[in-house]
Amino acid sequence: MIEQIAASRCPRCGTVVAPPARLCPHDPVAMEPLQLPGAGEVVSFTTLHSPPEGFRSPLTLALVQLEGGACFVCHGAEATGLRIGARVAIEAIDGIYYFSHLGTLDRARLFWRRAGHAGDRVNAITRSVVKRVWKGRTRVEG
Amino acid sequence: MLDVWVSGAGMTRIGRRPEALQDLMAAAAADALAMAGRERPDLIVVAAMNPEEFVGDGNFASSVATAMGFAEVPALRIETATSSGAAAFYAGFAQVAAGLHRTVLVVGGEKMTHLPTPKVSELIGRSIDAHERRYGATMPALAGLVTRALMARRGVDEREMSWVAVKNHAHGAKNPLAHFQAPVTLDDVMASRMIAEPLRLMHCCPISDGAAAVVLTVERAAVRVAGTGQGTDTLALRHRRALTSFRATQEAARAAFAMAGFGPERVEFAEVHDAFTPFELIALEDLGLVPPGEAGRVTLDGDTALDGRLPVNPSGGLKARGHPLAATGLAQIVECVWQLTGRAPGRQLDKRVALAHSIGGLASNNWVTLLESR
Repeated sequence: MIEQIAASRCPRCGTVVAPPARLCPHDPVAMEPLQLPGAGEVVSFTTLHSPPEGFRSPLTLALVQLEGGACFVCHGAEATGLRIGARVAIEAIDGIYYFSHLGTLDRARLFWRRAGHAGDRVNAITRSVVKRVWKGRTRVEG
Repeated sequence: MLDVWVSGAGMTRIGRRPEALQDLMAAAAADALAMAGRERPDLIVVAAMNPEEFVGDGNFASSVATAMGFAEVPALRIETATSSGAAAFYAGFAQVAAGLHRTVLVVGGEKMTHLPTPKVSELIGRSIDAHERRYGATMPALAGLVTRALMARRGVDEREMSWVAVKNHAHGAKNPLAHFQAPVTLDDVMASRMIAEPLRLMHCCPISDGAAAVVLTVERAAVRVAGTGQGTDTLALRHRRALTSFRATQEAARAAFAMAGFGPERVEFAEVHDAFTPFELIALEDLGLVPPGEAGRVTLDGDTALDGRLPVNPSGGLKARGHPLAATGLAQIVECVWQLTGRAPGRQLDKRVALAHSIGGLASNNWVTLLESR
């Protein structure tokens, strides 16, 4: 299943931010919590060749426009072939969010999700494999 | 509101400097006071972005005032990240315009080259939203995100953003105070190593030491402050309503032009914040100096070169003059004043109206200053 991302919405201007904030950045108004599906469109991305301390080079960062409206910062394992406007899925690993291209597997996953819960088991296996591969590839532990 | 005049302007050579930061700032201030023919100001406004971390000194307004021999002159410090110099100029302007002080010394400086580059990046990066920093976002990283979007959505190409570096290095080569004094070729820029894709090393400004100062007076002088304006935006890049233009620049320009009572068509040359060369292209359009979508083309056409229709960054800009953070906003104004008063040999323009544009953080706190010669 698609990851749920904690976000918040401004009841006055409708701004949605993720992660959630107490006050809207544009108005001194308390935001209301909501969950957004972890899928969206790449707004921009970059690969850092001299990342700051605590990260390994090259480090890929992306801004992703989530389906619910918030723009979201995340890591990616790979920027090769990535384009602005590409559809990506977002997953959390140890509280850090990563995007992956929404490939055939993800599309199948989305289809299964729409169709019901038949795909959940396959999905869970895929996710744990993916997580094991990604872990340690882009972020230095500790 | 009283008219405010820039009576003096001075700065140190920018680059790797062995002197203490306070001494660099005192040297710039002495030059500005000498040009103004004043021995002692009524007030000192100090700009320093992070002297606590960069050089380990706090209580910095008193520290600088004392190093200048002005321990009894009131001094205060202003900070808006990388635009602190321009913000301090505004604070000094406001004091004179309000009639609170007759002669205000505004001095800014930063010293960073003694620290390793990753440490400097980390310290500058603290002006970025904390959540984005958790993902490894540095200034070049966020600028890389802006630049990729600029290329994809607004058709800016690598040649255009690289030519800004070629042009500004050519200007810096004529400025004896610039950090970089050697011209570079388009091939040099486009072959330099990747920093934050699509930004290469030579699309980025250097890490520099230096200081700059101006003297503002209520008495008439050669250059009048026509307008000054501040514009702001969200700290987090992900919260912005636009990624390929900066609201903070647009609002600062609107405010400055409103105060001046004229529009961008009157501006004859500009010093803009080219910390990353694509930012010069964004600034030209945000400031209204160039129609939307044309900044790259006018740059390649030579319109923004010293001998062009609208010279931009005659000093060499942040790219070649260098970027000692809190000194930069004032160094831009110093260049404008020197140009307006015939003090820029080797790169002298014959112009009467100047614009200076300074970016704080990743364009969360920007300033536009308009200067006019009598």
